[in-house]
Amino acid sequence: MKERQTMNNAGKLLREISEYEFLILELHIYLNSHPYDEKIAKTLDEYSTKVQKLVKEYEEKFGPIMQTSMKANRWAWIANPWPWENEEA
Amino acid sequence: MWVYEKRLEYPVKIANTNPKLAKIIITQYGGPDGELGASLRYLSQRYSMPYPELKAILTDIGTEELAHLEMIGAIVYQLTKNLTPEEIKQAGFQDYFVDHTTGVYPNSASGVPYNALSMQVKGDTITDLHENMAAEQKARTTYDNILRFCDDPDVKDPIKFLREREIVHYQRFGEALRIATDKLDSKNFYAFNPSFDRKTMQKNK
Repeated sequence: MKERQTMNNAGKLLREISEYEFLILELHIYLNSHPYDEKIAKTLDEYSTKVQKLVKEYEEKFGPIMQTSMKANRWAWIANPWPWENEEA
Repeated sequence: MWVYEKRLEYPVKIANTNPKLAKIIITQYGGPDGELGASLRYLSQRYSMPYPELKAILTDIGTEELAHLEMIGAIVYQLTKNLTPEEIKQAGFQDYFVDHTTGVYPNSASGVPYNALSMQVKGDTITDLHENMAAEQKARTTYDNILRFCDDPDVKDPIKFLREREIVHYQRFGEALRIATDKLDSKNFYAFNPSFDRKTMQKNK
């Protein structure tokens, strides 16, 4: 029961991170063809700052998202679930 | 180089298996207009691009296509989890099953393994960007066709996301073409190939 709750919290936080990361990706690609759009560049930086805090929180609680993550918990990187697995199924 | 993030670009959470649908959706994994082809095409084309904006666009979109490839793999994986032999037979999934069980293999919907002939790296700036615009439309049409057979909202959701991304990428490649032609002679865009003739261009300056 508690494990499911933990997985739900992890899922929720990761979902929030993914939403920000998507926005960042979208703006990043846009800026490749519009490099002088300062307003969008500023928005990207704001999202970046926000998401870095969330990533730090996630990685401290649940383990690394990337291999370059600081103080990566070895077992947490290896552990299930992997992204293609639907733990709720 | 590439860094992997242990998350999907967009969530894939499918409650019900459906091998019939998996057989169709796999075409965006290994089919002619699928994500494997898209990523290989863009990541290969970037080497011969003359302008840094184009190298950036091709690298970033090519990288995103790898994330899409992963999503399609996840969809097929979830649609074929824990199947019984009866379910496999009923769905007409035996042909794939006999060669790959429920592994994820880069096939088209009609069982043709991924073939690089369905993509091109022509090494000509204008040509390659047109190739990419066409590729995005082909992918969009394929997703439209997949959606016709999708009753499950769990599957519809990530497929609709992927379809939207194709339209956005099409837009980006249109802008890339504009960037390229802006740097060329408006009286004759085809005077030379900026992917190849750069040295000649510099000599004549």
